[in-house]
Amino acid sequence: MTQTVQTDQRLKGRTAHTPHIGPHHGHKWLEEFHHAGAAAFEKIGWPSADDEQWRYINITPITQTSFRPAAGPGSAGRGELAGVSLAGRGFYELVFVDGYFSPELSEIGDLARLIEFQCFHDASGDRTDRIRRYLGHELPAMSNGFAALNTAGFSDGIFLYLPAGVAVQKPIHILWFTTRHARPTVVFPRCLISACSGSQATIIQSFASLESDHPPLTNAATEVICGRDSRLELIKLEREAPHAFHVANEAVHVHAGAKFQSLTFNAGALLVRNNMTVHLAEPFGEATLNGLTISSGNQRVDNHTTLDHAAENCPSHELYKSLLAGNATGVFRGKILVRPDAQKTDSKQTSKTMLLSDDAVMNSQPQLEIYANDVKCTHGSTTGPIDEEQLFYLQSRGVSAARARSLLTYAFAGDVLNRIIHPEVRETLSTLTSECLHQLHIESVES
Amino acid sequence: MALLEVDNLSARVQGRDILKGINLTINPGEVHAIMGPNGSGKSTLASVLAGRDNYEVTGGSVQFNGKDILEMSPDERACEGLFLAFQYPVEIPGVSTSYFLKAAVNAIRKYRGEPELDAMDFLKLIKEKMKLLEMDQSFMNRSINEGFSGGEKKRNEIFQMTVLDPKLCILDETDSGLDIDALKIVSQGVNALRNPTRGILVVTHYQRLLNYIVPDFVHVLRDGRIIKSGDKSLALELEAKGYGWLENAA
Repeated sequence: MTQTVQTDQRLKGRTAHTPHIGPHHGHKWLEEFHHAGAAAFEKIGWPSADDEQWRYINITPITQTSFRPAAGPGSAGRGELAGVSLAGRGFYELVFVDGYFSPELSEIGDLARLIEFQCFHDASGDRTDRIRRYLGHELPAMSNGFAALNTAGFSDGIFLYLPAGVAVQKPIHILWFTTRHARPTVVFPRCLISACSGSQATIIQSFASLESDHPPLTNAATEVICGRDSRLELIKLEREAPHAFHVANEAVHVHAGAKFQSLTFNAGALLVRNNMTVHLAEPFGEATLNGLTISSGNQRVDNHTTLDHAAENCPSHELYKSLLAGNATGVFRGKILVRPDAQKTDSKQTSKTMLLSDDAVMNSQPQLEIYANDVKCTHGSTTGPIDEEQLFYLQSRGVSAARARSLLTYAFAGDVLNRIIHPEVRETLSTLTSECLHQLHIESVES
Repeated sequence: MALLEVDNLSARVQGRDILKGINLTINPGEVHAIMGPNGSGKSTLASVLAGRDNYEVTGGSVQFNGKDILEMSPDERACEGLFLAFQYPVEIPGVSTSYFLKAAVNAIRKYRGEPELDAMDFLKLIKEKMKLLEMDQSFMNRSINEGFSGGEKKRNEIFQMTVLDPKLCILDETDSGLDIDALKIVSQGVNALRNPTRGILVVTHYQRLLNYIVPDFVHVLRDGRIIKSGDKSLALELEAKGYGWLENAA
């Protein structure tokens, strides 16, 4: 099924990688789409250290490993998914195993009555037209090498189409699950969401994998279109095995009056790079980007966000928080671009890090580019250990040091979690946070 | 037995000697005021008694209820019945006052070997005390001191003190930043705590607070030492003549 294209020898040195071409199942448009991705990669290659956006991350463990795409879905049953499935909470669940949709493992319920959801492979007629209209628009293959490789290589993808005015009450969980492989394996999750005008939903994408001798690479791409006055909450859960590599590109287009809110929750993998780009294209669109990272050991998490204010009267809010233990390294780089027409922009960016060890490191960088004159942009960043004054205050009332520490740690994370719109998702992630903190030997705080 | 027995206590902060031999005895039922100019060591004394980090005790001893508390952690001291009302109460976003106070009440009850309070009993306890300090219910659901005005913060300190029912209350410049109405409410809360078994130590720069919380004893602290002790009239005298009067006399 998998084909390869011959890389131009002159470019070998730069790319040193032959893009994998994903299966197209007889769809000509898909075949062309994949090939366009491969061509893009041959032009731009891997991101290099010269590129300002990639300066702080060492991707050689990825570029120097010969990852192969999964030949098909590996074996996974409900047992393997037990720890990461959210179907038990009553969420809709669409499960992909090694990049291939698994109807057996999915819990679709009445979702098909509310929205259209469609794997690219099975699409036909109108649905193909819709996919083709949107796919690759918000995230062109030329965005960066990883986006190009995803475009070339995805085995399948999911398209969620929320018709105008539809409000989906239960969260939709898309679970991308990687099984155990006998060699370094790459999976290319691809997700396309179109929320038509006035629609409303909470969508979660989880990334999880089984531990194996060979670290897997997940190279994910998500494109979202928020139609007029739509309300979309998009949550990304990174929960892959401790040695996994993960790169995700998310690109969002916000139309007039729409409200988009994200949460990027990082609790897994060895190396994580998130690129989140939001294009506020029309007046009165609103974007809220939140992040919560809980890292330990030698984990490294890079969160890069770009808020592109292209229209007037758009507020944006960003709150990225990190709890770093062990030798963990965190990066937050938040770009706010205010174009000349984006008057009355109101943008606030905050990055806060709590260091739980002396060896953890955080690098936080705002990047403001403002070309309009009537705007309000603020940014702030704090990094440090638990506040000694707060600790003493709690202790002076009789609370033990250990309890006070956990109270403050939970409160730090809770500040982000409390902003989750969907109450059941908020509860789910609070539980997950407790599990993560428990692993860092921070005692749980019952409410 | 004295409630608090401070014997020749000296302490250092960041290499600087601040307390240079403090002697102070507080018996059950007594209210003591420590007055002194800025930098005399008043707040350092309060902090050292409560066990704040970064304060190095270089000599002397402190017995509280007959126990040496200098080796105890701040939370152990609190469980023993010592309470410090902060000069600058700390804001703690994300921790609700009600959650925190329940944790504190139960930590202290557990230490004393008493059964922990359930949610109902706890609610009953705090409602009663809130009335005393004219506090709004919504207060309990807010994060500790977050966005509170200066007056609200101080009132919250006295409220917590009332709920935790300590044996010794230390008020560190509780009057600073209070308008006259808030001062009255706070003083009323403190006075309601006066009883034959409890000790109160009021640390203040100004005599004003002592019009409302009338002390049994007044001590003047200067350059890390108590240079004069007397009854409440000493505070009035200080107010009239200023700290310079004692400096010249010393």
